[in-house]
Amino acid sequence: MALSAAVLVVKVFCLAPLAGAASLSTAAVGKLIFFDTSLSASGQMACASCHSPAHAYGPPDGAAVRRGGAHLNQPGLRAVPSLRYVLNRTPQWNAPYVASAAERVIEGAEPPVGGYGWDGRFNTLRSQAEFPLLAPFEMGNTNPEQLVMRLARAPYAAQFRAAFGADILVNPRRAYAKVLEALERFELTDPSLHPYSSRFDDYLDGKATLSPGQMHGLELFDDPNGGNCASCHLDKKGADGSHPLFTDYQFEALGVPRNPEIPANRNAAYFDEGLCGPLRTDQRRQSAYCGLFKTPTLRNVAARAVFFHNGRFHDLRQVLEFYVRRDTSPDRWYPTGGSGGVIKFDDLPTALRTNVDVIDAPLTRRAGESPVWNEADIDDVLAFLETLTDRDVKSAARR
Amino acid sequence: MVRSRHWFLGLAAVAILSASGTSPGRHVTNALSTSAARVRHVFVIILENKNYSDTFGSSPQDPYLRQTLVPMGALLTQYYGTGHVSLDNYIALISGQAPTRDTADDCLPGLVGSVGNFNDVVQTGTAALGQVIATGGCVYGNRIKTLVDQMSAAGLSWKGYMEDMGNDPMRESPTCGHPQIGIGTDHTNAAEAPSVAVPQGDAYATRHNPFVYFHSIIDAPSCREHVVNLNELPADLAGAAATPNLVFITPNLCNDGHDGAGTGAPNTLCADGRPGGLTSADAFLQAWVPRILGSPAYRKDGLLIITFDESNYTQSVHTASTGQRIVDITFPGETCCHQQPGPNLSGVRPATTTVLNSPQLVENLVIQGFGGDRIGAVLLSPFIVPGSTSDTQYNHYSLLRSLEDIFHLSHLGYAADDPRHGYTLDTVGEDQNIFEHPSHPH
Repeated sequence: MALSAAVLVVKVFCLAPLAGAASLSTAAVGKLIFFDTSLSASGQMACASCHSPAHAYGPPDGAAVRRGGAHLNQPGLRAVPSLRYVLNRTPQWNAPYVASAAERVIEGAEPPVGGYGWDGRFNTLRSQAEFPLLAPFEMGNTNPEQLVMRLARAPYAAQFRAAFGADILVNPRRAYAKVLEALERFELTDPSLHPYSSRFDDYLDGKATLSPGQMHGLELFDDPNGGNCASCHLDKKGADGSHPLFTDYQFEALGVPRNPEIPANRNAAYFDEGLCGPLRTDQRRQSAYCGLFKTPTLRNVAARAVFFHNGRFHDLRQVLEFYVRRDTSPDRWYPTGGSGGVIKFDDLPTALRTNVDVIDAPLTRRAGESPVWNEADIDDVLAFLETLTDRDVKSAARR
Repeated sequence: MVRSRHWFLGLAAVAILSASGTSPGRHVTNALSTSAARVRHVFVIILENKNYSDTFGSSPQDPYLRQTLVPMGALLTQYYGTGHVSLDNYIALISGQAPTRDTADDCLPGLVGSVGNFNDVVQTGTAALGQVIATGGCVYGNRIKTLVDQMSAAGLSWKGYMEDMGNDPMRESPTCGHPQIGIGTDHTNAAEAPSVAVPQGDAYATRHNPFVYFHSIIDAPSCREHVVNLNELPADLAGAAATPNLVFITPNLCNDGHDGAGTGAPNTLCADGRPGGLTSADAFLQAWVPRILGSPAYRKDGLLIITFDESNYTQSVHTASTGQRIVDITFPGETCCHQQPGPNLSGVRPATTTVLNSPQLVENLVIQGFGGDRIGAVLLSPFIVPGSTSDTQYNHYSLLRSLEDIFHLSHLGYAADDPRHGYTLDTVGEDQNIFEHPSHPH
């Protein structure tokens, strides 16, 4: 819609007096926007449709990717991450550079860190919010003006005007900026995004105990020569006693198998290479970054039904088995090529498969070797991961 | 340049007193022969990982240090680090202790040491000059004393000012910040970029804060008053009485030149997006040195020392007959001042460590000696001859000895002479090339 037409519509709806409109905080307005399906092209999709509060602001079911757009038939490209806990502490995207090559070699060149999204391409939540609002396979607004026009018809338009100025909606650019700001404030400040109500939180506070199986699972999770999970999914209290968030925000290439459930993958030439595209464009030349995705939090992971950036797995047990058997039983995960060999890391172009982590436990074993965990171990790690589920979180629906 | 002359007044007694390395705060009467004897406030700024030939030669990144500060003070052209790769230098500077197998490698787990991480030193004995014999480890036991233990015992004040420490209180405490001993990884090894919760980011590095590697310091509640964030310094500079006798400043990982190439080129930046390298180090000096030089304590009786922990490396690349690309990162590891390796470096220095061996690439870390190579230092003081230069050889042990002499303290570890082996060190307070004659009016 042309800007002038949008302004005309907005004027019709939004120059009415504001009498009686309650003044809400920016965050409270953001909450209304977050849950408002009328802001989408379909009229049926809100931020909360994918980031369901009942599911730790993650997906409500096990769909690998969700469908959006005007007719809810446009498939997305990646699985929905949880918004709980991590937003305030996500560092700006950066690739720290140690000046001394010797120290880079000794300490290991640090992988990139931070930014919002699986590929970290947004440094602020307000810039991130633009993507789902405008993406044709998500909420599907064709431009900011169209979004503001829809907002002008929303039942809380008067509160929006009360919060940001009586004439805010006649200036779509300003109104759009306030929409993004309000969403950001809600996401950063609403207590529902930081409840710390899991059994593990109670355990850290000395208010609960873990069962022997859960404790054993925690030990396996921590063991640097075994699961080594805690090297990325940090699980120790902070120096100030704050509870861990189970991510270090670093990027990692795990070699997750290609997922045929993603329609885009029907094109054999299409690869989601994370940091180096196609959604992110500024690191395309950094071939060492291709295939790297940001480490997600594991809080509430046991309530999810879809895992990894491409939603390849739908069962947490299978995820753990993948970690410990990726290299010992590669034929279980990857297809076989024409010569009969297993095509490991098949969701990356051949030339980029060397970026996949093969140096950190448990990803260092060879085909035929024993995995670091047996089935009983996996039971215990699962039992531990279930302690990370907040009290209010429902399990996502299985497919 | 003629080497400085030495007057060993009382120093024989000092050597005897300090041979055990465990005699903190013994007040000795070693009178300095230059106007350095009048120094009562010492400010130390430690930067990271630069060659003398870059810092004071070819680099275009540090014009303030080279063109403003050097002419204002004294340039020590033959100042050497004592080791590679960082932490052992800081520890040498405040304790006179040579490296353990772990402190020689920044207490990284699993490289050469047997203990790694932020774990206690496992001491098995004591060698000459109080050197700890250890199988490994990082945090020295309570019996091992440091310069600041000596100062406290002698009634002298000190503070370590650590830039960024506690910016993220989840990462480390804002006072006396260090990882829990024996618990997991030191997460301060890499800088943390700014976030909503930590708007300034946090580029504090434990391994650049020597004080927290000694139980004699961290076990005392007073550590919280002594090892603080750099943001406390302005208030402490306001009056001479508030300024500690020793002000030890560690910039964050960007401002000390550790991170970033200094050029501003993409993908060579600090975590917070600044250029780092000598560029950010120079900007740090430009921001802080005038505040120090303008402080009442400095104007009255101050000495500012700016140096680096260690020098840098050379890199060579060639292709082997196997087709592998061979990258050798080489530290000469040169020493000065008759430096001793200490009792723990057998098999560690010198050494070549292959840290990567893939079908395409081999990376070797070649450390040819056990020293820290030539870094240089700049000293500023009302008692220093502006624009002076000294070619006398110094290292971190001799700087420790120099500070101990200024504060009339005994000599710890390798800061002490060992007459049995002809081991003696020069001290800056005796360097007549840079300090005024004591009778010179201030």
